[in-house]
Amino acid sequence: MRPALLATLLALGAPAVAGQTVRGQVTDAETEAPVIGATVRAADRGAAADAEGAYLLALSEAGEVVLRVTAVGYEPTDRTVTVARGDTLRLDLALAPREIRTDRVVVTATRTVKALEDVAVPTTVVDAETIRQQGAVRLGDVLETVPGLQLFDDHGGGVQVQGFSSDYTLVLLDGEPVIGRMAGTLDVDRLTVSGVERVEVVEGPSSSLYGSEALAGVVNLVTARPAPGTVAGGLRLRAGSYGQTDATAEAALGRDRWAASAFVNRFGSEGYDLTPDAFGPTVPSFTDWTADLRAQAEVGAAQLSLGARLAAQEQSGGFAGIEDGAEVRYDDDASRVDWSLHPELSVPLGDRVRLTTTLYGARYATETRYRRQADGSLYYSDDFDQRYAKVEAQLDALWSPHHLTVVGAGAIGERLAGDRYAAGDAGDAPSAQQVYAFAQHEWAPSRLLEVNASARFDAHSDYAARLTPKLSALVRPSDAVRVRASVGSGFKAPAFRQLYLAFTNAAAGYSVFGSTRLAEGVAELEAQGQLVQVFLDPSALGAIEAESSVAFNAGVAVDLSAALTVEAGAFWNEVSDLIETQPVAQKTNGQSVFGYFNLDRITTRGLDAQVTARPLGGVELVGSYQFLQARDRAIVDALASGTVFGRDLDGRDARLGVGDYGGLFGRSPHAATLRATLTRGSASASLRGRWRSRYGYRDLDGNQIANRDDEFVAGYAVLDLTLTQSWATPAGRLQAQAGADNLLDVTRSTLVPSLPGRTLFASLGLSF
Amino acid sequence: MHRLPLLALAGALVLSACDSTEADEVVDLEAQVATDVEADPTTGRDPNTGAPIANDLFTLYDLDAGEIVLSSSETDASVRAADSTGTAWDIGFRGTTIIFNGGTSGPGQGAAQLLTEAFPDVTEAPASGYVADGANTACPAVETPGGTFPGAPYALCTGDENGWYDYDPSQNLITPIPGRTIVLTTGDGDYAKVRILSYYQGNPTPPNPTAPSRYYTFEYVVQPDGSRDFLSTTAE
Repeated sequence: MRPALLATLLALGAPAVAGQTVRGQVTDAETEAPVIGATVRAADRGAAADAEGAYLLALSEAGEVVLRVTAVGYEPTDRTVTVARGDTLRLDLALAPREIRTDRVVVTATRTVKALEDVAVPTTVVDAETIRQQGAVRLGDVLETVPGLQLFDDHGGGVQVQGFSSDYTLVLLDGEPVIGRMAGTLDVDRLTVSGVERVEVVEGPSSSLYGSEALAGVVNLVTARPAPGTVAGGLRLRAGSYGQTDATAEAALGRDRWAASAFVNRFGSEGYDLTPDAFGPTVPSFTDWTADLRAQAEVGAAQLSLGARLAAQEQSGGFAGIEDGAEVRYDDDASRVDWSLHPELSVPLGDRVRLTTTLYGARYATETRYRRQADGSLYYSDDFDQRYAKVEAQLDALWSPHHLTVVGAGAIGERLAGDRYAAGDAGDAPSAQQVYAFAQHEWAPSRLLEVNASARFDAHSDYAARLTPKLSALVRPSDAVRVRASVGSGFKAPAFRQLYLAFTNAAAGYSVFGSTRLAEGVAELEAQGQLVQVFLDPSALGAIEAESSVAFNAGVAVDLSAALTVEAGAFWNEVSDLIETQPVAQKTNGQSVFGYFNLDRITTRGLDAQVTARPLGGVELVGSYQFLQARDRAIVDALASGTVFGRDLDGRDARLGVGDYGGLFGRSPHAATLRATLTRGSASASLRGRWRSRYGYRDLDGNQIANRDDEFVAGYAVLDLTLTQSWATPAGRLQAQAGADNLLDVTRSTLVPSLPGRTLFASLGLSF
Repeated sequence: MHRLPLLALAGALVLSACDSTEADEVVDLEAQVATDVEADPTTGRDPNTGAPIANDLFTLYDLDAGEIVLSSSETDASVRAADSTGTAWDIGFRGTTIIFNGGTSGPGQGAAQLLTEAFPDVTEAPASGYVADGANTACPAVETPGGTFPGAPYALCTGDENGWYDYDPSQNLITPIPGRTIVLTTGDGDYAKVRILSYYQGNPTPPNPTAPSRYYTFEYVVQPDGSRDFLSTTAE
């Protein structure tokens, strides 16, 4: 919501009984511009400044009263005035801008506009200025530098939050989910950062507002909205190592009553090969197109907005297989098309209530073809087509400056068609429907305390309904200290593949069935004589359940001075009913048949700390550290009981304790980031470093955990540098950028395919 | 009272001096290692079903002598009948299945149990708890197209995690579970302990899933004097 809207909601009607009032204008002390949305409070009453900065506050009692004036981005001010009964006092207020840049607002944490420092859950914001200075072009580049997040490769670039794999983080574009998770991972390099105003990352379970998949956190790309009077455009071209190119053309138009922005982006790479001895690139060459249109219009008091996106990707690579002892080469081509449409209508219903209705439609389709190079024959083909439609209504009611209620409800329909997915009983493609309702109440009795309670109810066509609650609080003992704590529940519904998959890997020979297809899949294999033995009877199994978690998050942020902020936090997630594959039967070819079961219980917990310093004008330093422990509870119990051993390279067996457990694969116990930005006039330099300690990735001594040195990937640090310079020219603003990613040329060729060694790039952009 | 041991020692010396047989010698038991014992290695895959092609026969091993009594590559039925019906062999291998010379697998007194204890820490064989092949009711139930069985009949249960090995599908790797020691009675009724070191030819370290499989390397200690002690034996 825009500040003017907030002001409209906050403004009280004319006093019913003639009484004492205070009125005036709130302005910026330096620029004398009106401060829209500033709040003037007196004990139990409050008023907000409108678009001209004018406010009108009706007082319940005459006499001496202390007025407290606050506004996002300004120092709070107290004024003591004396108002006679029935009198109207004229009081103009000038607010001094706050030194610390806390004028950032977020929408993701509470589905309403809040200042970043006022949210009670761990939230990080990366704004457009930072994105530009770092030279980031895809969402993965941005998330790399966010403390507490890890990027890793698993069917695409996935993001790990608080030790959870990427299946558990919801990725949103303007609040609506980005679809297309074939194997659970959402490839964050699919999304360009063109047109993005800021990226908001909320950690901790947010299922009480967003439902499934928001178990670990939410990443929201908020697009830029052109301010009235904007006529702007831009062209950017970037080229780098490995044939990486990124080209964007964008235009934005802003008028008083409407605004529109659009861009077209082309991102491509020639790919690279970290294992020259083996045939086939590590990362194949690809071309990725994105076209996007965002428009907003005001019709009377209502606000209409439309977001539309179309993206397509072509990818081609190769690989070699061994057949009868000889190497056979294949061409591997894949293409993807996805689009989304997001119209939204927002209408004020009276002074305090606002209704927003949203429609969202999206489609994601991929095609994969493997062809034998020798004769071009088709060896393997796989199609995947997912459709998603959603309708939602949200009501925001600001009863008073102390109470804000948000309620919403919606329905979602999804359909999936794909070679790997078996048709349902009626022979049609697997589909699911879902209805949900959520409610949130925020109570802010004073500047000292803010409490937020929310809950969401989800009913799905394939499993039992569930209620997901959350409670969070923010305490501000002083202006410089903020303490937050939250406890909440999160859940992740079984994914389509865990429900409907019916797939046999032709090359390796194993089969995987989703829970609703398992019994018939096993029966069919048995009838074909492909099974040697069956380990458990699929028809005796109960229905699969959603994975669920309970989590605690707490943190403290202290502004030690205007130039130094220190934050520390802790988190603890207890997750049950994690769905994993387990062999159900053995086939005659020696491979297994797998099904999906609620098997695991895991715990992730950790501590994080962050220091932000602005020692001199134009210099910003941000350092962070995270300690993470992500462990399977069944394994911890087994280790504690002394029945787990490890075998070293000399063949010696030793009993292991809980301290020998390397944690879940892919999670580093220690991670740190460092960002240094130097700005001098129109030039800037951005240095980013990230380090992760070693992490387990395989089991070699048969105990299913990483405990030996050769079961870990050694820790590594990556350093990125970007230099930017811009000039004003008659045609517009010209920006040149040059940089190097992975300055230290770190590679882990087979283990971390996304690290290609040192990459250089240069870019030129013109904005007018 | 402390004179009594002294008196006994003096008496024993006198007696031994008079006896014509030699005194019992106490010798430390050393662990032996058997390398690359073939256990019905596969020779390829059936082009129609994809099933691995092998003889489907056991290799029988004699722990006392430290040698193979009958190899899985010996397909002559009469030779197999002769060598498998004695009590010379103690342990048999076929693929991932391990059998013992007793119960339904052979005529001997072989029986076994699995301990969760490091191999060197098993200093004495347990007095009880052994089951012979065919008598183990504790193995997970198995359903086959031909019917349901209450559990693998073997003393060492078959299946991933149930017995001696862990199968990792992501690496297609079979590794022996560390800390699991097999304690058995041999065909002749002596006690022995066995630890599997590798399922692959050449005992590659770290384990290599592309190496030829079904070649066992294992470590064992046999107590020839019939006692349950694994540290030392009294040779006569």
